[in-house]
Amino acid sequence: MASVSELYDVTWEEMRDKLRKWREENYRNSEQIVDVGEELINEHASKLGDDIWIIYEQVMIAALDCSRDDLAWSCLQELKRQFPGSHRVKRLAGMRLEALERYEDATKLYDSILQDDPTNTAARKRRIAILKAQGKSAEAIRELNEYLEQFVGDQEAWHELSELYINEHDYGKAAFCLEELMMTNPHNHLYCEQYAEVKYTQGGMENLELSRRYFAQALKLNNRNMRALFGLCMSASHIAASPKVSAKVKKDNMKYAAWATAQINRAYQLAGRGTKESKCSVKAVEEMLESMQITMS
Amino acid sequence: MGEVELSCLAYVKMYLHACLFPRCSVNGVLLSSTPAGGAVTDVTDCVPLLHSHLPLAPITQLALTQVDVWCAQTQQRIVGYYQANASVLDISPTPCALKIADKIAEQCSNAVMLMIDGAKMTAGYRVPPIVMYERKDSRWMLKDKHMIMLHQWEETRAIANQLLDSGDHTLLVDFDSHLDDITKDWTNQKLNAKIAELASPANGNV
Repeated sequence: MASVSELYDVTWEEMRDKLRKWREENYRNSEQIVDVGEELINEHASKLGDDIWIIYEQVMIAALDCSRDDLAWSCLQELKRQFPGSHRVKRLAGMRLEALERYEDATKLYDSILQDDPTNTAARKRRIAILKAQGKSAEAIRELNEYLEQFVGDQEAWHELSELYINEHDYGKAAFCLEELMMTNPHNHLYCEQYAEVKYTQGGMENLELSRRYFAQALKLNNRNMRALFGLCMSASHIAASPKVSAKVKKDNMKYAAWATAQINRAYQLAGRGTKESKCSVKAVEEMLESMQITMS
Repeated sequence: MGEVELSCLAYVKMYLHACLFPRCSVNGVLLSSTPAGGAVTDVTDCVPLLHSHLPLAPITQLALTQVDVWCAQTQQRIVGYYQANASVLDISPTPCALKIADKIAEQCSNAVMLMIDGAKMTAGYRVPPIVMYERKDSRWMLKDKHMIMLHQWEETRAIANQLLDSGDHTLLVDFDSHLDDITKDWTNQKLNAKIAELASPANGNV
């Protein structure tokens, strides 16, 4: 089989830089990382200098994701040799046990890290990940809440908790987590939009109006967020169609919905120009928006 | 309740959808191009919908509405719902699965709900990794396996594996991906053509 460098005509430096980019931006494209990383390690180890250790770690985790225990094991051995007694490497050993579904052994390993160092956040998060993998959502939620009492600023944890609550249909608590995230990340359009979706799902006039406001906010932050655009259109339409609202509220919301509809149509016209495949979606959207206008009036 | 026929096209796309997002729960709807009223529920196609936030309402509502419109335009009907849970250990229908399936059953009396069994999706698996439910007395009950037909199962399985091996499963577009980039086609015309190519022409109905 041709090597990565041959297939894509890249140098080892470019491969190393790509790995760094994926590392820094937290991509989980594990098959690619394994392909590129394995070749880098096998062919160019000597040139990588101290970078090699973080690459071993990155490739090991990706290898676990792809069921490449052989590769994961050899990376782990290199790291164990270089950093004996390291908690960071111990955590990787734990992750390998998790991949082998040896959850009790993995938990014991993480507990031993935490005995040594109770502030080790990585080990605590792995414990919670194990509970999630075992389907023990209630316990995972409980431990994650305890974790967040101590580590209030951990964005990743807040987001994970919001996902767990959404899966349990506990929308009120999911909304609370997203509120925390929006407070600390006011420019993140995705949190606004997810919050709006949760509010919409909760239902009721108050939540619907909130959802419309947050869909609009998401659009202000990123005017190409299609979910927010559709969300604005749908929430405004529902409010306008409700018999319980005042004439003014109805008029305002019809305006918002009309604006959103126009934006959606424009976006789809632009999209449909290039490819004949998207014609189906364009027609479907047009018809859908038309039918929504009818129910509103 | 009658027989259900699952076409190669529907199965392959559903399977590839689950393979494309192994760490997420995914869902989609099952379609039929056969008119209602027959004894057999003929699942001829499927539309992959979401791979994130399945329980949330807005995008699900949006997707179902758009698929409805497209079905009307193309003489198809929504006859079922499929879901693959993120956890391989869990093949039970979630509350949101039941909700959506109930809605579909309101419009289609022979509606089916299909759960993909991740644990059976290992290399060299022999049986279709699916569990099907049908509606009886307002409840979803397990359907008799013998009433579920997959014509040319060996060939269907081979096609799915081939597309997986060649990396062509990345061609699959679900509604979520479409919203990330609206130039992508959630009706999957390109992938449909590829699957039709691979299916032997002697089959007739694919």
